[in-house]
Amino acid sequence: MTAIAAPTRRPAGWTVVAGRELRDLWAGGRALTLTTVYSLFLSVVVYLLASSTNLNFLEQRESVTLTAQLAIAVGALLAMILAADAISGERERSTLEATLLSPVSRRALVVGKLAAAFSIWVAAWLIVIPYIWFLGRGVDIVWEAIACTFVVGTLLAAGLTAFAMLVSIAVDSNRASLSVSLLVLLALLAPTQLPSSAQSGWAGESLYRLNPVTAGEHYVGKLLTNGHGWTQDLDWLVSPMIAAVALLLLTAVMASSLTLTGWRER
Amino acid sequence: MAAGTVTPGVAPAVEVDAVGKSFGHAPVLADVSFDVQAGQVLGILGPNGAGKTTLIRILTTMYRPSSGRFAVAGVDGRRPREIRRFIGVLPESAGYPRIQTGDEYLTYHARLFGLSREQAKDAARKTLEIVQLGDRAGSLIATYSRGMLQRLGIARVLISEPRVVFLDEPTLGLDPAGRRHVLDTIRRISAEDGRTILLSTHVLADAEEICSRILVLNRGRIAAQGTVVEVSRRFGADRHASLSLPPQQAEAGRALLRSLAGVKQVSAAAGEPGALTVVFDGQTDPDRAIRLVVGSLLDAGIAVRSFELDRARLSDAFLAITQDDAR
Repeated sequence: MTAIAAPTRRPAGWTVVAGRELRDLWAGGRALTLTTVYSLFLSVVVYLLASSTNLNFLEQRESVTLTAQLAIAVGALLAMILAADAISGERERSTLEATLLSPVSRRALVVGKLAAAFSIWVAAWLIVIPYIWFLGRGVDIVWEAIACTFVVGTLLAAGLTAFAMLVSIAVDSNRASLSVSLLVLLALLAPTQLPSSAQSGWAGESLYRLNPVTAGEHYVGKLLTNGHGWTQDLDWLVSPMIAAVALLLLTAVMASSLTLTGWRER
Repeated sequence: MAAGTVTPGVAPAVEVDAVGKSFGHAPVLADVSFDVQAGQVLGILGPNGAGKTTLIRILTTMYRPSSGRFAVAGVDGRRPREIRRFIGVLPESAGYPRIQTGDEYLTYHARLFGLSREQAKDAARKTLEIVQLGDRAGSLIATYSRGMLQRLGIARVLISEPRVVFLDEPTLGLDPAGRRHVLDTIRRISAEDGRTILLSTHVLADAEEICSRILVLNRGRIAAQGTVVEVSRRFGADRHASLSLPPQQAEAGRALLRSLAGVKQVSAAAGEPGALTVVFDGQTDPDRAIRLVVGSLLDAGIAVRSFELDRARLSDAFLAITQDDAR
């Protein structure tokens, strides 16, 4: 039998895993499909904002804010969907075992997959830039809106992606992983639909501040619609920041307990 | 460490000492001990639910044992990541990413073992040639047949040059040609590369063909272990011999054979004058059986036209072991 060059060496790090995952996501078409749907959704929203007689009562600033907030919510949702599938999906497709049997560390494996899932948020942000430019031209908030969308969206997408990855590590069913992740995102988004009276008062505002999604979206609104400075409402970014850092750290810690069958060994 | 053929001065490639595993309160493996010497091919046999896959998953670090200890390639079981550097594993019903090509799949797995991009590509190309998939290297895995997928899995096992190879049901669901191909590849891995192989299988013919030793698991415990011949003989069912005598001497020969110790039954084959079937008990040594039957007949002046002794069958032994334990 032909001898193969002796394997050396240090097992691969997260970059090898991330590279493979990125190719599978983007060249395999899954991420492209999701971003295409996202682009169509944004196109419809922006078209309505720009042309509908029912919606064009909104000020230009408000249109930009709404578009940025939607891009953040949907972009984070897409990253969450990919992260939720990252481990439990491989369990279901019986492809996880071969990867776990390599000497690459569990943490490197999870971090690589997390980075790949997160890439769709970066794509979502890049896609929303021309829409923001289109809606915001003439009111001088375009660059501010683009930067603000990136900062807040990155914080929320990082936290939500890490959360979905944690669920994916724990459960052996892809459906359960996706359901739990989406349910939590919907629960976090729900307060944005409440009347503004529900957001006032000590309890209402605390709830709004503690919820990283509503807090982040509120910060975007203050910055873009009300024209506040970057540091004026920085306290609203505390919960998105804490959530992102805590969930990323927790994912890194829990990654070492990644097993073939999830939290319940069978 | 427990039983096994010991080569002085050579550490076993796999050492398993009183390993047990429970899921919740349900014991799946209990007190499993054995050694595998470097270069051996150990067949792990057993009925469904016997614990074969659980045992392999423990030894390949996918599960932690509930009790006992083990070492693979000289590395203690408590250092799983290090063990994974030295093993290659083909899991039962392994899945494959359908959107990758065979070449991409192997290159990725080679890189997980620390090979550089160029080294990984080179190793992937060579390994695909070994399993005779070189001409399909650039094809999407989605287009591979089941036999090709199994060979791709074996290529992935080999890509890291493992010292110990674990194969869980490698011929499951393959057609005869696919099965032959996989068995030939396993034989080459063992004979030419000297790798230690642990092979779990339901197909007893596979074990008889390529295993130097077998271990029979039943209900989570070792029910038998040894070479195929040893286990077949020790647990074998009654053995049969067919012989042909001159028709006029058949009745005398039949009477003589019935009187011999170790012979349980002698019957005439229907429609074939002079043809007899002799049933020995399972413990009868084949050399002794031949001497006993042929020698006695010749001594009595009865000509023997032909004599054929069925070899001890692993399938009989397997059934005897697993059914005895079930009772």
